[in-house]
Amino acid sequence: MIRKEINKISEVGKALISVEGNPGVALNHVVELLEANTNQSLSFAKAINITEDSTRFQVFNGTQGLSTQTKIRMHELPLSAGFSYNMLGRSFDGVGNVADNGPEIIFEKEVSTRLDTLNPTVRLVPKQPLWTGIPMIDVFNTLVKSQKIPIFASPTEPYNRLLSQIAQGAQADVIIFAGIGLKFDEYQYFKEQLANSGNIDKTIMFTHLAGDSQIKGLMLPDVALGVAREFADQGKDVLVLLTDMTNWSNILRNVANYQDQIPSLQGYPGSLYSELAKRYEVAADIEGAGSITIIGATTLESLEDPVPDNTGYITEGQFFLEGGKLKLARSLSRLKQQVNGKTREDHRPIMTAMASLLADAEKAYEAAEVGAANDAFSQKLLRYREDFISNMEEPFGDSIELEDALDKCWNILKKHFEPTETGLSKKLIEDYWNKK
Amino acid sequence: MNDNSKRTGNLISIQDSLVKARFFGEVIMGETAEVSVDGKILQAEVLQIDTDPKNKEAGIVEMQVFEDLTGAQIGDSVEFKGQPLSVLLGPGLLTSIWDGLQNPLYKLSEQGAYLAPGMKAPALDEEQLWEFTPLAKEGDEVSGGDAIGVVPEGRMEHKILVPFSLGKCRVESIVDKKELNITQEVAVVLDAHNNRHTLKLAFRHAVKSPIPFKERAIPSQPISTGVRVIDLLAPVGYGGTVGNPGPFGAGKTVLQHSLCKYALADIIIMAACGERAGEAVEVFKDFAELEDPATGESLMNRMCIFGNTSSMPVAAREASVFIALTVGEYYRYQGYNVILLADSTSRWAQALRERSGRQGDIPGPEAFPMDIPDQIKGMYQRAGADHATGGSLTFIGTVSPAGGNFQEPVTQATMDATGGFWGLSQDRADAKKYPAIDPLVYTNSVYDSFISWKDRNKMLHSLLEANDIDQTISTIGLKKVPVEKYVSYQKGQTIDFCVMQQDAFHEMDACTRPERLKVINDAVQQLISSPIEFSQEGMEDDELKELIKTKFDELRQWWRDWNSTAQGGELINELPAKVEQFIKQEEA
Repeated sequence: MIRKEINKISEVGKALISVEGNPGVALNHVVELLEANTNQSLSFAKAINITEDSTRFQVFNGTQGLSTQTKIRMHELPLSAGFSYNMLGRSFDGVGNVADNGPEIIFEKEVSTRLDTLNPTVRLVPKQPLWTGIPMIDVFNTLVKSQKIPIFASPTEPYNRLLSQIAQGAQADVIIFAGIGLKFDEYQYFKEQLANSGNIDKTIMFTHLAGDSQIKGLMLPDVALGVAREFADQGKDVLVLLTDMTNWSNILRNVANYQDQIPSLQGYPGSLYSELAKRYEVAADIEGAGSITIIGATTLESLEDPVPDNTGYITEGQFFLEGGKLKLARSLSRLKQQVNGKTREDHRPIMTAMASLLADAEKAYEAAEVGAANDAFSQKLLRYREDFISNMEEPFGDSIELEDALDKCWNILKKHFEPTETGLSKKLIEDYWNKK
Repeated sequence: MNDNSKRTGNLISIQDSLVKARFFGEVIMGETAEVSVDGKILQAEVLQIDTDPKNKEAGIVEMQVFEDLTGAQIGDSVEFKGQPLSVLLGPGLLTSIWDGLQNPLYKLSEQGAYLAPGMKAPALDEEQLWEFTPLAKEGDEVSGGDAIGVVPEGRMEHKILVPFSLGKCRVESIVDKKELNITQEVAVVLDAHNNRHTLKLAFRHAVKSPIPFKERAIPSQPISTGVRVIDLLAPVGYGGTVGNPGPFGAGKTVLQHSLCKYALADIIIMAACGERAGEAVEVFKDFAELEDPATGESLMNRMCIFGNTSSMPVAAREASVFIALTVGEYYRYQGYNVILLADSTSRWAQALRERSGRQGDIPGPEAFPMDIPDQIKGMYQRAGADHATGGSLTFIGTVSPAGGNFQEPVTQATMDATGGFWGLSQDRADAKKYPAIDPLVYTNSVYDSFISWKDRNKMLHSLLEANDIDQTISTIGLKKVPVEKYVSYQKGQTIDFCVMQQDAFHEMDACTRPERLKVINDAVQQLISSPIEFSQEGMEDDELKELIKTKFDELRQWWRDWNSTAQGGELINELPAKVEQFIKQEEA
């Protein structure tokens, strides 16, 4: 097939180029940039803004080295991602090119990266718990298959360690790792962890390292999720690890800025919410097919920053990591009530009771700082708080089964309180307080 | 348009969901258009009309396209439809689940699991037969909004109305009692200009022109929502408006789901606007198995859902809220009490923000369009009670303020526009107190409650006092707080813990009806107004306070158990007895 070629590049900017007039390209379709004399392929680019006078492209490999002489070859197709079971165990870049030293892959098919919305009627209401062996998740914020949930943490927290710990225990057929703006050692860490846990053969890594072309980072989730969706359509349970979506949002912000878009908050485009939602909403339990669960990482300075703030409204809860601990107060699994009513009868009540006591304890802790927690109950609360933080909020360590974790909860309550102080019903107290 | 010749144009600019086209002849502001892209027909709406600097004969029209434009090219053709964005109104609306443009999602799923651009299906079932009984006869004079017949829709009577766009007409012919589908002719009417109009069971109505009231009235009847803090302290009347802001994780969704399940109304319309798809799915898949509290039928029989969820095209979000509002007005006009839950109005406002940004408008605060407060007010104004029809449309909109900050433009404008306000607090949510509606901050209502204003104020006052004492305890310690203050503190805490908080997932505790509310209120008022004597001879204040706490802890445990177990008159009346006993400090 002979493809149309032109050379009318009029503007070369950061990550974007413009072409004079209308070369006949369609919105979101891909073109290839070629060195004028040698016809060597320099990069691909995507048409994002078309008028009869000019056309603008996002350049996947960055614009360094491009000139007004660079040739443009039309491909007349939107960006697709190659799909094959041979991708398992391999590494790719943000647009799906092989990025390890292994052989090229012959793809079975090309899948769309447009991420069309799944018809809601085809979604199943998620009902299957995913156990992690981490009490703060299993007891207090149970994870559910097809959930979309990020870890919120400041950049210095061990969020990637937590992400990889959750991934290691995950009951998934396929793990898709999507890393955006990663440092090399983070990438290497994940690779080693996945290898050590014996999961590498069911893992596909899509990686964009800090300093790589921004557009490749921007495209990465769409390519990774497009591939994940194909596995799910074929009946597989897929776990997608997205880290770090703050890096991705920052690229989005940069590119919006290059495009002269009007910023809304802190320079992010007004579409930040929709853009994040489009990716996270790929998580689904699909009727008659498989499922996609997304666990992400969102680094933040403050919870009010636009990226965590918008993410919180999109995802089905968040795990909040602070001081190396998974904090109960700001963590939430929105799907937990789909599953935690079918475990042990004391699961829900004890979760509520402990949370409510912890909230009182936090108040007592603040009061203690000004010397105002001098009554006996406040002292109880303070001891409880300490116990809770070191025993229940610790995410790293041996894996604990749910029943054992619940027993542990009762032991902590018994150690610090009288039965009526817990707010638990008489019946539960009778059944569990003096058990064992 | 009487002109039968097609009016067309061609694309000259494409950016995200915004396109420009060159046209010759006439284009009408706000009319819909169809853009042909790659063999698919995409829906669009005219936003602005300009002159063409390149061609004096032509004009340039700016449009938003409601579907993904991937593959669109310069020169693609546009056909203008002459009609503004509209919704199909008729029997079969109830139990339906649509996308934001009224495409039925179950029908679309027959075309594939994913929603691709250009997918379409008739808004209402065209096969289903309805038993039509005429109310009008040949020669009758009718005008827009008059009923010419009825069909049964579930257990409701669905009036077949003359389209509101028609003026005075005379009925030329009307079918006898028979079974019809929505595509068949029901009647022919002749208007004042001798134009014939064929009426069917369903008609289209423009979503931006409100269906009128017959006789607008102030909302006077409180709605039993089943949520105690709402029904006691921040009630909403049939036809009222409420803004429900809260940071993420504060419990907006759980509250919306509670209202769906328990609020007493004939019809609940859910506009899932830019929110998680999973939440809408839970409603139409799981709630269908629950009972309507009024009729005992499937909950879905009283519902319809517009799901323009967060990953669907942004441009259709604005449309989805207006479509839902129009359906609500239609049923209000028929005399039904309708509650519209819009989740979330912030996503709707953001859709306007994205659009105005692309259009290059000069932005207002936080880049929202400058007129956003007026647009929000206009939207809430479409709710209301109708004295003449006996129907009402209640609008409960959630607000998702950026950063949980209630000072942001959409929350502020909503506060200004609504009669009730349910502010969810991060602190209460963090303490896992549900609902996290904070009765002391940003929560208010102009509507009548199930209890008197006096009782309402006493309850609020007790909560406020307890809150103040709590602050004092946190700053100077419990030791320095006088015993009687400590008792007031415990009283307020008891009201908060046993009345304001509720378990949304407990079969019984999740919903409290007015009869029970009355018993609770009596007990609360008694507890607030009665002095309680705890003092025992020779006891130090510290010890006494511990004793008081233990006693109140016991009462609270008992009360919580009562909330989740006591059913039937006798058991219900145990509460006032228990409280009285507590006040006298008698042994049980």
